[in-house]
Amino acid sequence: MTATLTDRYISATVRTLPQDAQADVRAELSAAIADDIEARLEQGEVRQDAERAVLTALGDPDVLAASYADRPLQLIGPRYYLTWWRLLKLLWTIAPVTAVVGVLIAQLIADAPIAETIGVLLSVAIGTIVHVGFWTTLVFIILERTGADTGERWTLDALPEPQETGAGRGDLIASLAFLGLAAGALLWDRSIGFVLVAENGVDIGVGLGSQTTAMPVLNSELWPWWPGGMLILIAFEAALAIAVYARHGWTTGFAWLNTVLAVVFSTVILYLLITSQLFNPEFVDYTLGRGNVPPEVGRILAILLGAGVVGVSLWNAIDGWLKSRRSVAH
Amino acid sequence: MKDSDDFDPQLLELRRGTIVLACLHLLRHAGYGYGLLEDLARHGFAADANTLYPLLRRLEKQGYLTSEWNTEESRPRKFYLTSAAGLRLADTLTTEWAALTEAIASLTHGRTE
Repeated sequence: MTATLTDRYISATVRTLPQDAQADVRAELSAAIADDIEARLEQGEVRQDAERAVLTALGDPDVLAASYADRPLQLIGPRYYLTWWRLLKLLWTIAPVTAVVGVLIAQLIADAPIAETIGVLLSVAIGTIVHVGFWTTLVFIILERTGADTGERWTLDALPEPQETGAGRGDLIASLAFLGLAAGALLWDRSIGFVLVAENGVDIGVGLGSQTTAMPVLNSELWPWWPGGMLILIAFEAALAIAVYARHGWTTGFAWLNTVLAVVFSTVILYLLITSQLFNPEFVDYTLGRGNVPPEVGRILAILLGAGVVGVSLWNAIDGWLKSRRSVAH
Repeated sequence: MKDSDDFDPQLLELRRGTIVLACLHLLRHAGYGYGLLEDLARHGFAADANTLYPLLRRLEKQGYLTSEWNTEESRPRKFYLTSAAGLRLADTLTTEWAALTEAIASLTHGRTE
């Protein structure tokens, strides 16, 4: 004997219910369906049509079962959605960048082929994004089904701080002071030299200047053009800082100028670094040229320095755009 | 026509919860699933079978209804009866409903005056 539509419908419904409720729901549901069909037969419907109509009105058995078992029909409901989304955004801004930068530095130190490095970086970036998304969501899906408490309560303290527009007097003074120091350091290194070299140990009874000779850190052959260009960049940065202060905020134009300056600065430093022109050869000899320093150290330091320069410049450029967006929003 | 389509979600929202109150009142005398559905319709409460049956089990689980299988008739049926806690809940909900009716009346009066 083949199962009737009603039997199949009821089986599909109770299938996913807890064991102890199955028999009860099965008996109750079959009585209710039979009552309904009977009422329709009394109205003069054909049994087959009546059965179809009753079951169709009851709808998807899985929805009915979820209703019986009080199961959520959503992956993550309103109770957890915002916590989930805030956490995911936070993790997505931190984890992929950290992973990519870490792997990039490791690849550069290992001197891996460029094509391989690019491939590895891409797969690390995509892998981190996917993994962070999947595991975070999985945890919240489980929370949604177990009804656990995330302990997050909104209070007034959670209101976002009024954000700095970067156009105050303090910002101007800080920028100009920093740029002035940078320019001064360039000139000092040129005329006197930053590194003090003592020929035979240091006698603390005598002044430092009389027993040492000063050595410039930067390659003196770069003068006048390269450091001169740097001074011009510094002058542009100073002009930008003053303009931002005068206009009471960052504009899109300022952000573009800031980006161009950052790109030029990091390109110049990287070029000089890669072509081994940046540092005074004497200074390099004196520090890395010693017999007990492995030849690898110089290259690794250069990579870390290059990564640092690019990182700082990148952040500087992004910061300008963030501030210009905030100023527009004001 | 357009209006009724737009209003449907609002009407559903307003009616939500009234089925519970109606069930608690009707089940002062024991009743079973399909019979209750017909009673509700007769009193003007439009309930769907697929929301009513799970609702009855939920109210039973929460202690507002008690149930008993009746196997005397040709078809065994599960009969529900409003419990003491269910009666108290029905009283509270009815009082609230009356207060809301008054509140709504004061709104519409205020507008015509």
